[in-house]
Amino acid sequence: MDIILGIKVEDGTIIATSKAATRGISVLKDSDDKTRALNARNLIAYTGESGDTVQFAEFIQANIQLYSMRENDIELSPKATASFVRNQLATSLRSRKPYQVNVLIAGYDTKTDTASLNWIDYLGTQVELPYGAHGYAAFYANSLLDKHYRKNMKIEEGLGLLKLCLKELETRMPIDFKGVYVKVVDKDGIRSIEGY
Amino acid sequence: MSDPSSINGGSALAMVGKECIAIACDLRLGNQSLGLSNNFEKLFQFGDKTFLGLTGLATDVLTLSETFRFKNNLYELREERSIEPSTLANLVSSTLYEKRFGPYFVGPIVAGLNSKTNEPFICGFDSIGCIDFAKDFIVSGTASDQLYGMCESLYEPGLEPEDLFETISQALLNAVDRDALSGWGAVVYLVTKDKVTKRVLRTRQD
Amino acid sequence: MSRRYDSRTTIFSPEGRLYQVEYAQEAISLAGTAIGILSTEGVVLACEKKVTSKLLDNDGSAEKLYVINNNMICAVAGMTADASILVNNARINAQSYLKTYNEEIPCEILIKRVCDIKQGYTQHGGLRPFGVSFLYAGYDDRYQFQLFTSNPSGNYSGWRATSIGANNSAAQTLLKKDYKDDLTLKEACELAIKILSKTMDSSNLNSEKLEFATLSLSKVNEGKVLHKIWSAKDIDSLIKDSGVLDDKRDDDD
Repeated sequence: MDIILGIKVEDGTIIATSKAATRGISVLKDSDDKTRALNARNLIAYTGESGDTVQFAEFIQANIQLYSMRENDIELSPKATASFVRNQLATSLRSRKPYQVNVLIAGYDTKTDTASLNWIDYLGTQVELPYGAHGYAAFYANSLLDKHYRKNMKIEEGLGLLKLCLKELETRMPIDFKGVYVKVVDKDGIRSIEGY
Repeated sequence: MSDPSSINGGSALAMVGKECIAIACDLRLGNQSLGLSNNFEKLFQFGDKTFLGLTGLATDVLTLSETFRFKNNLYELREERSIEPSTLANLVSSTLYEKRFGPYFVGPIVAGLNSKTNEPFICGFDSIGCIDFAKDFIVSGTASDQLYGMCESLYEPGLEPEDLFETISQALLNAVDRDALSGWGAVVYLVTKDKVTKRVLRTRQD
Repeated sequence: MSRRYDSRTTIFSPEGRLYQVEYAQEAISLAGTAIGILSTEGVVLACEKKVTSKLLDNDGSAEKLYVINNNMICAVAGMTADASILVNNARINAQSYLKTYNEEIPCEILIKRVCDIKQGYTQHGGLRPFGVSFLYAGYDDRYQFQLFTSNPSGNYSGWRATSIGANNSAAQTLLKKDYKDDLTLKEACELAIKILSKTMDSSNLNSEKLEFATLSLSKVNEGKVLHKIWSAKDIDSLIKDSGVLDDKRDDDD
């Protein structure tokens, strides 16, 4: 029942991930960050089988950073990053024990000055979307975003829209997800937004 | 319910006309009942006049489209010409059969014109690569039953390009409207001997 | 002296040399010349064809120029049979990068991968190193147009203009003299012809003794890389336009 939610706006992409780490009926932690920075302008957010998630995200993180080390600090674009992650999941799907990890990748491409949000599930299904979420949160968040999302929104407006989604999720989700961490990826890099 | 070939939904269709072919697909990508994207094309071009349609499990649609791009690019460099539709059909067949005991969950279709004779060619496959040659139409995807019905009633042999476009569009549109997992937009490619035209169809968005 | 050390590729001689690698490089300096020139609008590769028998029945495709992928071509000096193994490897590498990242492979990464194979054969694996040097012309969005060479040892380097094969030092001296930073693609082509006409032993230059390729950007389709391996007719008219034949006649007078 983890929540990971992404909204792409004109000049960046917003990612929100729930703080609760749960196991069975217990909340083990209320400050769990379900994201990893892959490089300066690529952020991965993940949910799924505990154990697999962090292992997979850090494996991807290590590979993306290895690429930059080999290539004189040139960084992989969001499109290439997402394709690489998809490829890893699709390969894993037909292995003896597949990673059960669903991810969102928020990125900002400095070559084309465009923000992007990639939705990838554990099967390796990949789509580039204006907004998206995994799990049950998707049902509530998507219907709200379908109604209120506009192209060419600024980050501030996107954050306003995110507030709306979180209010709905707090009302409708059956368990307390302990609030969210919010991060923005834009031309200046990855930054956290406080106060959520 | 957890049948891999109907998790994501989507349909495709190809038809033969008079010295032309048309191939079409819907644009939906879903996760069970939840629609994710209305911009997920399932058709891929190879060379000037050949198309491959891939329906089924979306991850396999992506994997196979990348695999065939890989194989086709090497083919073009080696042969210094583009691939013929019938050659592509055999490439698809053998690639799928390699995974006979752990198949890709897809329903591919191939449609194109021969580069020299401009003779139309269409065919479909099952998930392990058995080729289904046809001289009229080929259907595939979660709305395949509905597509069979529409094609059986609307199709006639020897249609001119514009009439073929109308026929394939109506067949696809009305079939996907009766399938909860297909729809959300559609595209049609019309291939004649000297031109390929792409048309994006406006459809209901529910 | 050298007999004890050159029967295997993997053994250093007391002077710290790898004889087989040096012999391979020696073999290449006897092969037909290939030159490459970078210009502001693209890259040109030109090679000298050595086998030009009237009885030879080939399919018309170039024998020393290969397309590697959408944004790279290469010219070969040395053993064509060895080259085709490496070219095939390069093509597969380019496609597998495209498959994992959905982007064309950056030129230097591909060259590095080919050179890793070459290096491998100087240390272990086969009986001898690959007897080929390459000239690579490429384009990518990191460094735009690029020109590289690689040799049997597995070293590679980037150039604005360079040459491999027979008479390569003579060609490079001429390039050093005549190369300018602001060449157009047409000027680069003419310079390539001019230099080849001086380094080749044959008196009259024509399309039967030359292979020619250019890499440039499409004017209509932004970002699309065009690569063209020239037809005999185009080469002949370039030779005519460049005026090298006229110069020759003047020299004779």
